[in-house]
Amino acid sequence: MVESIQHLFTGFGIAATATNLLYCLLGAVAGTLVGILPGLGPIAGIALLIPVTFGLNPTSAIIMLCGIYYGAMYGGSTTSILLNVPGETASVITCIDGYQMARQGRAGPALAICAIGSFTAGTLAIFGMVFLAPPLAEAALAFGPPEYFSLMVCGFIVLSNVTGGSLIKSLMMAVLGLIIGTAGLDPVTGEYRFTFDTTYLLSGIEFVAVAIGLFGIAEVLANVDQPLEKLEQSVIVPRFRDLYPSLQDLKASVGAILRGAGIGFGVGLIPGPAPVIATYASYMVEKRISTHPETFGTGAIEGVAGPESANNAACQSAFIPLFVLGIPFAPPTAILLGALMIHGVVPGPMMIIEHPDVFWGVIASMYIGNFILLLLNLPFIPFFAGILRIPKKILLPLVMLFCLTGMYTVNNSVNDIWLMLFMGALGYLMRKWAYDAAPLLLALVIGPKMEVAFRQSLMLSHGNFGVFFERPISLVFLLATFLFLCVPAFRFIIRRFNGPPA
Amino acid sequence: MKRSEIIGGGIIFFCGGMTVFLSLQMPIGTFRMAGSGLFPLCLGIALMLLAFLYLANLLFQKDAKRQSPKAEAPSPGAAGQMLLFLGASALATLCLNVLGYPLTSFLLMLSLLRILGVRQPALLVTLPLLTAAGSYLLFVQFLKIPLPKGLIGL
Repeated sequence: MVESIQHLFTGFGIAATATNLLYCLLGAVAGTLVGILPGLGPIAGIALLIPVTFGLNPTSAIIMLCGIYYGAMYGGSTTSILLNVPGETASVITCIDGYQMARQGRAGPALAICAIGSFTAGTLAIFGMVFLAPPLAEAALAFGPPEYFSLMVCGFIVLSNVTGGSLIKSLMMAVLGLIIGTAGLDPVTGEYRFTFDTTYLLSGIEFVAVAIGLFGIAEVLANVDQPLEKLEQSVIVPRFRDLYPSLQDLKASVGAILRGAGIGFGVGLIPGPAPVIATYASYMVEKRISTHPETFGTGAIEGVAGPESANNAACQSAFIPLFVLGIPFAPPTAILLGALMIHGVVPGPMMIIEHPDVFWGVIASMYIGNFILLLLNLPFIPFFAGILRIPKKILLPLVMLFCLTGMYTVNNSVNDIWLMLFMGALGYLMRKWAYDAAPLLLALVIGPKMEVAFRQSLMLSHGNFGVFFERPISLVFLLATFLFLCVPAFRFIIRRFNGPPA
Repeated sequence: MKRSEIIGGGIIFFCGGMTVFLSLQMPIGTFRMAGSGLFPLCLGIALMLLAFLYLANLLFQKDAKRQSPKAEAPSPGAAGQMLLFLGASALATLCLNVLGYPLTSFLLMLSLLRILGVRQPALLVTLPLLTAAGSYLLFVQFLKIPLPKGLIGL
């Protein structure tokens, strides 16, 4: 524990240099804007800004990209409260009570509680990370290829189960993502696969193009696919002097913030869209333990404080599986995995030893980033809210141009733009047909790792599939996978037993 | 909706079939020493199986019991607007190397704004001009990322 604190102080030394502070600030501001603006989520935002980090050292680059992720979580709540439109999926729950508070003229306290709750939860989660990550990394050293393969299978099943839509559709998307991920060089034999005699596909499918296409372009197209009059929006912009919550608001929120932080931290460690699940779980807990549950949905401040804190804590603790196991459990961390690898840092149990500057520097920067976001989000809320007044008919072309330009700058290739536009059209159709894009993107990023683990396991066992069941850790993951696969079946049986709803 | 869902499932089944077909052209090897085609072959079979289950579920489900959300039918005008928006972006991609970045970005912004119903001439000219100039300065001058120069050589 003492060693972890020493390392954290070293991390603060790295993160507090003028350069890294600047990139942390830039990431936080960019993330807040990404979270606020409809049409750009954290995934597309991080993917778009990866090229901007090419000239930076790995620590500064990852500090900036992480700042975008947690900055977007702060920013996402602003649109939920002021517009009743979530900036990203994790802010959906905040709309329920946040927008009601805004309609009652209490937008300021709602936004301020979001910022305070996010800061507190983010800070607590970072301390959790500091103490949990090193022992977990040590434990992860016991993982061999079968354990990694089973963990990744488990991750896909959990993600497919909790995304809210049809399990079979999510699984199809995950398998499709794995197939797309096999294009290019075979990681074991070095042969080319699915290149169709084109040089463009030799290095595989560009994941940034897929990410921006599925999450950025598809969102823009879905917005454009509305009658012109629907593209306008009315915004409640709070005044600076109305921002501060009363003592009563703070007292009502303290418990919710602490519970939200705990729930978020725990949920962030498991596979799936952690911030989304954490916000739902926190809201349910707050409503259940409240002495006045009837106020939920009409502007209860606990309904804003709990989910927003959970959202931020989950977002921070989701870095633990990424850094310690090298496996991202959600699309934003999958993009960050790609960014880490572009910068020559391979996440995993050895990251703490091989790249302590990146590991501890990034963790310390998260604390600084949270503080910057608190400073940004309290006094500058009227400014950020003012951005929402930009009409969508101006904003959407800007986002499209930014996506096109950003995509070109990744490899200076027009083919990447074509791929991005194709993925955008595909993502739009997937939305129409209710297919979730998250499993596809996640599978694309971790597919090559999964294939290597699968083939190495079979090599180790001389072709015996029993290797996945004979090793205890692997068996636990496979049992968890089986249980998660059974959940929809149980739901179906219970529904059948209870009969159709009246 | 059901028809479109069946088409979607059918496309995925076809993708699985294509993967299996193409994987079989590669060395499969054995489980002990897997060739480059084994993993995609397994995935192709898995995708076909999942798509088959999905399609079977759709086909055998009674219409009254179907729970899939009813898609809101887009108005023909909005769908056309979306296609124009995507088409203009594709055209800009096609012209990028020939016209160069500044001119392409100006024309793209102009056309996208027009497609979304912006009518004021001042806005239609100044916003694309400012965006093209701003993004050029940011990427080329500040970040030193080369963008296509095209006809005007900027």
